[in-house]
Amino acid sequence: MPVDVAAPYAVRVRQALADDALRAALDRATEHLRDRRAQAVAAVDFHRLRDQTRAARCYAIEHLPDLLEQLEGNLIANGCQVHWARDAAEAVGTVLDIAGVHSVSDVVKSKSMVTEEIGLNDALQRSGIDVVETDLGEFIVQLAGEPPSHIITPVIHKRIEDISALFGEKLGTPPTTDPAELCAAARRELRSEFLVADMGISGCNFAIAETGTICVVTNEGNGRMVTSLPPVYVAIVGIEKVVRRVEDAVLLWQAASRSATGQDVSVYFSLCSGPRRRGDADGPDEMHVILLDNGRSRILERRYGDAALCIRCGACINVCPVYREIGGHTYGRTPYSGPIGAVITPLLEYDPRAARELPFASSLCGACRDVCPAKIDLPRLLLDLRSDLVERRASPIGERAAVRAYASFVRRPALYRVLASAARRFARFARALPPLRTWARTRELPRFAPQRFADLWRERRDDGTGSDEE
Amino acid sequence: MVDTLYPGVGLAAASLLRRSGADVVFPDGQTCCGQPALNAGYRNDARRVARHFVDIFHPPLDDGTIDAIVAPSGSCVAMVKHQYPRLFEDDDPYRRRAIEIGDVTYELTQYLADYLGFAPGDARYAGKITYHPCCHLLRELGIDAQPRQLLAKIQDAELVELPDAEECCGFGGVFAIKNAEISTAMGRRKAKNLAASGADVVALCDVSCMTHLNGIRARDGYSCRAVHVAELLAGSPESEPADQEPADEEYPDAG
Amino acid sequence: MISDSLEARDVILARLRRALAGPRSVFREPPAPAAKPAIPSAVTRADGDRRSLAKIFGEKLEAIDGSYEIVEDAADVRRRVLELLKEWPSQDRQTEEGPEARAVLSWAPRALPIEDLRPTLADAGIALVVPEDLHDDHTRAGAARLTVGLTGVDAAFASTGSMVLASSRGRSRAASLLPLRHLAIVPMSRIYENFEAWLAELRQEERLHSLLRVSGQIVFITGPSKSADIELNLTLGVHGPRFVHALIYDDAW
Repeated sequence: MPVDVAAPYAVRVRQALADDALRAALDRATEHLRDRRAQAVAAVDFHRLRDQTRAARCYAIEHLPDLLEQLEGNLIANGCQVHWARDAAEAVGTVLDIAGVHSVSDVVKSKSMVTEEIGLNDALQRSGIDVVETDLGEFIVQLAGEPPSHIITPVIHKRIEDISALFGEKLGTPPTTDPAELCAAARRELRSEFLVADMGISGCNFAIAETGTICVVTNEGNGRMVTSLPPVYVAIVGIEKVVRRVEDAVLLWQAASRSATGQDVSVYFSLCSGPRRRGDADGPDEMHVILLDNGRSRILERRYGDAALCIRCGACINVCPVYREIGGHTYGRTPYSGPIGAVITPLLEYDPRAARELPFASSLCGACRDVCPAKIDLPRLLLDLRSDLVERRASPIGERAAVRAYASFVRRPALYRVLASAARRFARFARALPPLRTWARTRELPRFAPQRFADLWRERRDDGTGSDEE
Repeated sequence: MVDTLYPGVGLAAASLLRRSGADVVFPDGQTCCGQPALNAGYRNDARRVARHFVDIFHPPLDDGTIDAIVAPSGSCVAMVKHQYPRLFEDDDPYRRRAIEIGDVTYELTQYLADYLGFAPGDARYAGKITYHPCCHLLRELGIDAQPRQLLAKIQDAELVELPDAEECCGFGGVFAIKNAEISTAMGRRKAKNLAASGADVVALCDVSCMTHLNGIRARDGYSCRAVHVAELLAGSPESEPADQEPADEEYPDAG
Repeated sequence: MISDSLEARDVILARLRRALAGPRSVFREPPAPAAKPAIPSAVTRADGDRRSLAKIFGEKLEAIDGSYEIVEDAADVRRRVLELLKEWPSQDRQTEEGPEARAVLSWAPRALPIEDLRPTLADAGIALVVPEDLHDDHTRAGAARLTVGLTGVDAAFASTGSMVLASSRGRSRAASLLPLRHLAIVPMSRIYENFEAWLAELRQEERLHSLLRVSGQIVFITGPSKSADIELNLTLGVHGPRFVHALIYDDAW
C-alpha cells in the first residue's frame, strides 16, 4: 500500500516501512545517486567548490534586501513584470490574475518545488485551467495523483511496472518495461501540450541581481520549452534564490549539478532575461516574475539563516539513512523531504503538524552535513528546531517531566548514586515507563551491571588492583 | 551508561590508559554530559547538566591535577567539544570554562593512538573483528584511523571490512524512542551488513550504539555482537557475558 | 493587485532588513576563496593549441552521449552538412517522428558562422527554414515537423562539452530545441577551456551584461536531452533533441 501523505505521521511511517517494494526502490535509487555524486565531487577540488558555493550564497543572503531591489530594477528594465507575494495565497492569486487577463486555459509547468509548496496546481485546476507537469517524473506523479517524493527525482518511489500500468490506464499505451518506450510516449503526449499551451510556469534555480536574469536548470529540456514556447511565462521565485553575479549563478549551477546527479553540469541551463526581443521568432511576449516570501523572511528572523543557503540539490536526501527507510511521502504533504525538508518544512509552516514531527525524524548522524555543497549544518538546525519546540512548550508533559527529573538527578551526585542503585533493584518496574516500553517493542533492553563503575573503581583503587600492571 | 550498564568498558579504558603511561583519576561526582536532554530539545536542562560537568572537571584542570579528559564515547566528547560552547551565552562565565574543557577533551582511541602511543600488550582475540565508525566520532570528531590502527594490533584477530560501514546504526538518542520503528529498521540494515562482513564481533566506540545493536541482536538473534573497542584492546573478560537478555528473563533491566 | 504587490514588497523588504540587522542573525559571510574554475582545463586558449582544445571539447561531448567531428574549413562544413542531412533521414525512419528530409529548421544564414550554406543546400533540394514568428500556429506546426535543427554557437567549453546559444532575431530557440537532431556548427575560435575563462573575458571586455540583457534568453546546452526519472534508467531525447552533433571547423583559415 502506498504511503498516504494525508495520514498521521505514525501511520505514514508504518506504511512506508511495510512497503518492501518502496524500500527496494529507494535503496537502489539513493545508492545510485550517492555513487554518482561521490565520483563527480572526487573529480574536482570539491573543498574549494564548497567554500566558493557557501561564500556566494552567504553574500546573497547577507545582502538579500539590496539584491532583491537590484534584481527587481533590472527585471523591469529587461521588460519583465515583477510581483511580490508575502504568502502562498498572494502568489496563487497573482498567477490567477495573470491567467485571467490572458484567458489562459492550458498551462505547462516545469518541475518546481515552490509551486508544490504553494499548492498552485490545485488552485489553477479549481479555476478551470488545465495544468500539465512536463518533467517526466512530475508528469508521472501527476498522472498518479501523487505529490513528488524527491526534489530531484520525483518518482524515485515508483517501479517501472507501476509506471507502465499507469501509462496504460491514462494514456492507453501498451505494457512495457522499456524506459525508452515510456519516455517516447511521454514525449508525444507532452510535445502536443507544449505546442498548444498559453502559459508556461517555472520555478527558479538562481536569480541574478546584476542582470535581472531568471535561471532554470533542467536535463530534459522542458524548462526551455516552458520558458520559450507559450506566449506568457511566469517564474515563481523564492526570495532566497537571488545571487549577486553571473559568475555566482554559473558556479552554483556546477555545484548543484555535481551534488544532485553527479553530472559536470545539467544538460540545459536557461538564463531568461525578459520577454522575446523585437524580431525574435520565439520566446514569451510577456514575462512575469513573482518574488515569494512565504516564511522565508521568518527563517532569517530566527536563527535559521543557514537553511536559506540551500541550493536544492538533494544530496542530503540521497545520503540520509532515514529517508532511505521511509521515502519522501512520509514527510507529509510537503514537497521538501529528507534532512533539508525536515528543517524547512516546519519553518515554512507548510503543515503545522510537521513542525512537531519532522525535526525528530533524524538520527543526527551528520551524513547530510558532509555532502551539502553549501556546508549547511543540518543537524544543528534540527537540534535548534527541537529546542524551539520545547521552549514553546510543544513537547509532551510526561517527556518534560522525565527530562527535568534526569537533569536534576545527574546534577546531584548523591541522589544519582541512590537512584542508580535503586534503578537496578526496581528495573522491572522501570521497564513499564513509556520510553523503555517503546524501546523494548523491537529491541532488548540492556541490563544493569551488578556494580557501578564508580564503585568498582573505588574498590580497585583502594585495594591496589586498579591497574593491570600493579 | 558506562557507569551503570557497562562498568567493564570503563575499567578497560582506565587500564588501557594506565598501560600506556597515563595517570588516571576519576573525579567523584561526575555523572552525564547532558546530551540526552539536548538531543531531545531541552537546552535549559542540558545547560544545567553541562554546568555540573564543568563544575566537576574545571577545577582539577585549572589546578593542574589533570591534563586531559578522556571518555570512551565519541558522542559524549563531541557534546563537550562542540555543543557546550553553543549552550552558553557569550557573557556566561561557564562558556570560557567549557571551551577550556573542550580543548583538552579526547575520545579514548584518539588519545591512545595520537597522544600516548598505545602499546598493544597482550591483547588477543581469536576471531574476526569488523569496525563500525559511530557517527559523531567519525563526522564530528573526524576520528576513524585511530580505532582502526589500535584494532590492527590485536593478536590473532582478523579484521574484516563492514559494507556501508559509515552508515548510521539508527540509534540517534531520542530518535531511538520517538522514531523507534525507523531506528530499528536502520539497525536491522546494519545487522544485515554485519552478517555480510562475516565478523564475529563488531567493535565500536560508543556504548549507546552498542546498546542499540545488541538490543536488536538479542531480539532478532543474529550472531555478530557489538563490543566496545576498549574491551577488545584490554582483552578484558567483562566483554564476554551476554549483556542483553530476552524479555522473559527474571531481571529484564532497564537503561 | 498592484497595490497589494507594492504593500507586500515593502513588508517583505522591511522584514528582511530587520532580520539581518537583528542580533539573532548568526549569519556571517565567510571570506571568499580566490576564484578558480570548478573544472580546470589541461589546455587553455592562451596555449594557442586550438586543435587540442577542440578535440577535448568533442571528446567530452561524446562522453555525455553527443557526437562531434573536426573538419578543416568552411567548404568542408558545407560538404559535411549536406552529407549529414542526406544520411540522417534514413536512420530516423525507425523513430516515431516522421522524417522531413527536404527541410531543416535553421538559424538565419547571416547568424551562421559560415557563408553560402543556403545555396549549397538548395542545390541539393534542401530548404533552410528560418521561422519568423513561432507564435503563429501555421509556422509553429511547420517547425514542429522538422527533424533537424541547424545553429551556430556563441561559445563552447572543452571542460564540459557545453555550448552557449543566445537567442535573438534570426536565432530561434526552437532550432536547438524542437527537432530530434541538433547540428551545431562550432568555429574553433569560439571554444574556451571552461565557463570561467569565457566569463572572465566577457567581464573584462564589459560584454557580459549586454550579452545577457540584449538577448531574451541564453542557454547552455550540454549534450542531448536526457532523463533518469524512470528507475534511474538513462533515456535520451525526452523533450529536447536526442542527438547533438558538433561540427567543428578551423575558422583561422
